[in-house]
Amino acid sequence: MIKTGVRLAFSMLVCFMGIAGLSGCASVQPWEKQNLAKPQMTFEGDKLETGYIEHIYSSKEGASGGSGVGGGGCGCN
Amino acid sequence: MSLIRRKILHGATVALMLFMGNSNDLFALEKGVKAPDFQLTGTQGSVRLADAAGSVVYVDFWASWCGPCRQSFPWMNEMQEKYRAKGLKVIAVNVDAKSEDARKFLAQNPAKFTVAFDSKGATPAHYGVKGMPSSFIIGRDGKVMSTHLGFNASEKEKLESDIKSALEAK
Amino acid sequence: MRPVSTNKKNAVIGAALTAVALSLPLSHSAFAESAPEKGIVAFKYLNYQDSQPGTDRIGVNAYSIRGMAPIAGKWSVDVTGTFDSVSGASPLFHNYIGAPTGVTVVSGASGGGSTSSSSIAEEDRKAVDMSVTRYFSKGTLTLGTSYSSESDYTSQSISLLGTVYLTEDKNTMLTLGGSVTHDTIKPNLGSSGDIDGDDDDDRDGHDEHDEHETSGTSASSFSDHKDIVTGLIGVTQVMSKNDIIQLNLSHAQGSGYYSDPYKLNDNRPRKRDYTTVMARWNHYFSSTDGATRLSYRYYTDSFGIDAHTMLLEYVQPLPSGFTVTPSVRLYSQSAADFYVPSNPAILPDAPDITGLEYSSYDQRLAAFGAVTLGIKVQKRFADDWLVDLRYDHYSQRSDWTINGTKDAGLKDFNAHFIQVGVSKEF
Repeated sequence: MIKTGVRLAFSMLVCFMGIAGLSGCASVQPWEKQNLAKPQMTFEGDKLETGYIEHIYSSKEGASGGSGVGGGGCGCN
Repeated sequence: MSLIRRKILHGATVALMLFMGNSNDLFALEKGVKAPDFQLTGTQGSVRLADAAGSVVYVDFWASWCGPCRQSFPWMNEMQEKYRAKGLKVIAVNVDAKSEDARKFLAQNPAKFTVAFDSKGATPAHYGVKGMPSSFIIGRDGKVMSTHLGFNASEKEKLESDIKSALEAK
Repeated sequence: MRPVSTNKKNAVIGAALTAVALSLPLSHSAFAESAPEKGIVAFKYLNYQDSQPGTDRIGVNAYSIRGMAPIAGKWSVDVTGTFDSVSGASPLFHNYIGAPTGVTVVSGASGGGSTSSSSIAEEDRKAVDMSVTRYFSKGTLTLGTSYSSESDYTSQSISLLGTVYLTEDKNTMLTLGGSVTHDTIKPNLGSSGDIDGDDDDDRDGHDEHDEHETSGTSASSFSDHKDIVTGLIGVTQVMSKNDIIQLNLSHAQGSGYYSDPYKLNDNRPRKRDYTTVMARWNHYFSSTDGATRLSYRYYTDSFGIDAHTMLLEYVQPLPSGFTVTPSVRLYSQSAADFYVPSNPAILPDAPDITGLEYSSYDQRLAAFGAVTLGIKVQKRFADDWLVDLRYDHYSQRSDWTINGTKDAGLKDFNAHFIQVGVSKEF
């Protein structure tokens, strides 16, 4: 199960990078990043809010992780 | 498993190479090259680089949405004031798609130097701008003497000494 | 982070991934990946309450304070302190909050409590997270550490996370990270016996699960550890002026004590590995100045749990500094291989686990689906003050699993979380 997962994930990553690299989608110029620079377009949200929400879900559900590394565990799961 | 992993890593590496190949296409303006001329609309009429021939020109590319650009404004005011007599001319080219955003920014961050607008992005493309803000120090002979990307407090001294040496150059 | 070679064409294909990251071309003009221009101080309060039909279960009040400051344009330091206080009762098995016949239940918390609830009367947790980031011309490097402490649990971790732009135009970024976590568990089982009851009750046939107590020490002095190593690799790619996507892959390997000492017959494997694939896509709408943030995560672990998580948020800036963000989150998981389904017909007795190597009645290891609906309102004052309010309603149902076998005996589970925050930039 794990092995399949790892293999699948790696192939997806490679595929994704290949597509992105070949399609020439990296054509956005530095002065064209006004919209991308807006706070609503960042992947990192409010740190305290994300901390609470991830903590809640990891203590009430079987799955956790995925968006980063680090952070403390707790006796809640 | 380890063999598979190695194969996959190999694939990933090839994909990364493709990426890096793409970055080759970008053109960057180099030292000693004649700075491309431009004619743009400014806050006070038309702005043309060639009109500043004989001066040292500090060309800055900025955008209203860029944080470090905001920080650079007081510093550019200071530089313009300090070295005006020695022949420094600061031209800040705004690259916002909507010049209206730039005017809002200018209302909050007054500029005591020349500001021009290039909403089409032709000038930064000619200069090979790689990020916001980017600056080019152009000598009295119209050639690029140094280039700089980004702005933060720790780099002010380096930038000022570059301006000084451009002003002192024969 | 500096390249060792600028001749990328001649780089040896097939080099290790890390070597590639190190041999990136660097232009003669430096890249500016600068530290944040402003520092920030933020405070946030959380109120969490969950319930099942007929009973309120766990309630949490949490308080966090965060300070982040840029240093010399090249560094930033980020510190967060959290205090939370949990009260209420956790089920002893499945949804059952009460003692099975023949078992004398003593509250797990140090403060004592009701004899009919299994676990928590009042429990405090304190946690500190610290990180230092160095900003380089082509990326960042962050070293983080965290410490969390409860009366029966401590957790320590260190992490390292690096980002590097793979292209000159900064449209492609690679993220690599890793962390090591060490947890210590010391249950507050009291001297009169733990709720597993193997010391002083007579529920024969339920003893084999307690391998952690085979040393013969009394329940009150039992302690154990858990160690987890996590690795992460991700790529962030600008797709257009209005689109950015990210793909993260992470893998964790854990070993040690995973059981829940406050639940009946809870005996889980001492190894838990998991792998996640997460894809995120943010899209900006010029017509509204709003943005959708879509993410999907696939999770699979060695307990046998597979989970799908989908989150969609829409961020809409409004006049006068307001921003409104509605969100919907969909979740589904399969059950752990050793999950023992409920049997309401035999209550107050728990299902028999005779002959099972591993077992758990924990609802969190069952198959279920969940839906969260949330709304956040934020207002910016005087340019550097930010106040926000967020409400989420969470519903968990065994019926809603799309990839597992439901346990029809489980009760519905609902929760709400309310967050109030204020922050100031300076």
